[in-house]
Amino acid sequence: MSRGSRALRRAPGIALIWLAAILWCFPLLYMLITSFKGEADVLPPSLWIAHPTLENYATVLQHEIVRYILDSAVISVTAVAACLVFGVPVAYALVFGGLRNSDNLYFWFLSTTLLPPVAVIVPVFLLFRVTGLLDTLGGMILIYTGVNVPIVIWMTRSFLLDVPREILESSDMDGSSRLRSFFSIILPLARQGIVSTGLLVFIFVWNEFFFSINLTYVNAAPVPVYMASFMTQQGLFWAKLCAISTLVVLPPMILGWLAQRSLVKGLTMGAVKG
Amino acid sequence: MHDELRRRRSRLLSLPAIIVVAVVTQAPILATLGLSLVRWIVVRPDLGITFIGLDNYADIFTSRDFYEVVLNTVVITVASLAICTVLGILFGLMLNRDFPGVNIVRTLIISPFFVMDAVAGIVWRTIILNSSFGWNGYFATLFGVKPFDFFGVHSLLTIVILIVWQWTPFFVLIILAGFQNIEPEIMDSARVDGTGWLRELLFIRLPVIMNHIEVAVLLGLIFVLKVFGLIFVTTRGGPGYSSSNLPYYVYRTAFLGWDVGHAAAVAVVTVVVTLLAIMALFRWFRRRVTEAA
Repeated sequence: MSRGSRALRRAPGIALIWLAAILWCFPLLYMLITSFKGEADVLPPSLWIAHPTLENYATVLQHEIVRYILDSAVISVTAVAACLVFGVPVAYALVFGGLRNSDNLYFWFLSTTLLPPVAVIVPVFLLFRVTGLLDTLGGMILIYTGVNVPIVIWMTRSFLLDVPREILESSDMDGSSRLRSFFSIILPLARQGIVSTGLLVFIFVWNEFFFSINLTYVNAAPVPVYMASFMTQQGLFWAKLCAISTLVVLPPMILGWLAQRSLVKGLTMGAVKG
Repeated sequence: MHDELRRRRSRLLSLPAIIVVAVVTQAPILATLGLSLVRWIVVRPDLGITFIGLDNYADIFTSRDFYEVVLNTVVITVASLAICTVLGILFGLMLNRDFPGVNIVRTLIISPFFVMDAVAGIVWRTIILNSSFGWNGYFATLFGVKPFDFFGVHSLLTIVILIVWQWTPFFVLIILAGFQNIEPEIMDSARVDGTGWLRELLFIRLPVIMNHIEVAVLLGLIFVLKVFGLIFVTTRGGPGYSSSNLPYYVYRTAFLGWDVGHAAAVAVVTVVVTLLAIMALFRWFRRRVTEAA
């Protein structure tokens, strides 16, 4: 069979796959389309942009949304940094530390990720109210650090398991300290994995809804809180709604796209092989 | 001696993380357990805080709302995980081939996973499912029928659709990795034997990637049992309790009724149900493995 006719035979199948993918992503694609429409052209629904405009983006960027985006950015970046600072050393200790009960410690951290956030929200809310952490950036950073450190440990551990032990042992023989070999050998080898772990935590924190809606009001409110209140406050400005939505989903989408392969590896490795 | 030093240092490295995680997740759980035994309605300070033993639990187990919410949680979880698995396998098969634009197609399918609940819910609720101005209303007018009632009678279905839309990509990522891990020799030998496509899928490919499917379902279960934001921004758990799951029920009791003791009790029940479900699924997977071996 010639190559051309084979390609032709495959064409309907490929067209079907493309159609399925576009339909799957349709809500997002249509959100993007709507964000370039004038408010008057939003209804009735149509795929055609009669009068393309960037006005929606210009308007929403002068709006209070900028403050919410800044809150989200500060909370997410700080929480990621804190999670890595707390989590990576534990992963190192679990893999190379010679702990006798390392499995128990590991499973204890893992088990905390199973718990639904509702299990802690009532006491956390009361505690935050008493200590003045309610509706503060610091409070949100603390919560997200506690919730996501186990995820860092889980993923980083599986990347560190990939580092050949012989390398570390031979550097022990050379007499270099463990601290030095951590920074000069282990960190470079596991860098990509640790970076994607950080990206994943960023996405989780940026998108998180439950704690942010319950623990913030105005002063430290991140993007999800603004989105949830948009409908009630702004009514039917759908083009602007779509412009804001597009802006706030872009960062996690780009980072997620970059991290997708290591993400799968980190989350599944221990489980699939174990 | 050297080992002892190393162990001590490892413990020291782990300590800060243990403290943070304990403060944020473990201590509050114990507090929740304690609060579930008291009557404390924040907006009624005149009533004070009184110890009432297991009364909150008795209230829960005799309330019809609670059983409706439990049933909803089961329906949401089982339906979304089943559909996610099937779609994950289908999309995984589609993406496990080489064709023009395969990377773009993969990006299109995976994108919903990275969209925050708040945006996913609002976009679906407005431009897609709104019965007068969304595509839902558009198609209803086009075919001259009544628009589908996504936020009334069928609100539970709407929640399932949204979860499936968001979580199928996660299943696709993991299952696709499984397909790509299959050694070519296995597929070659099947081809030599002249195995048909469907038989090859059912008896060779799926069993080989069963581990990946299990991981996806297990992680999916953990996340789907926590779903809250999607419900909050679309149906608000209503009408009535018809689209509330356990987490949303806790929220309603705690922050709409300000009934701390009752909310804490529901939270404890939610934790127990969550852990039982995860353990049951885990055991089932383990047993399947030992039987096969």
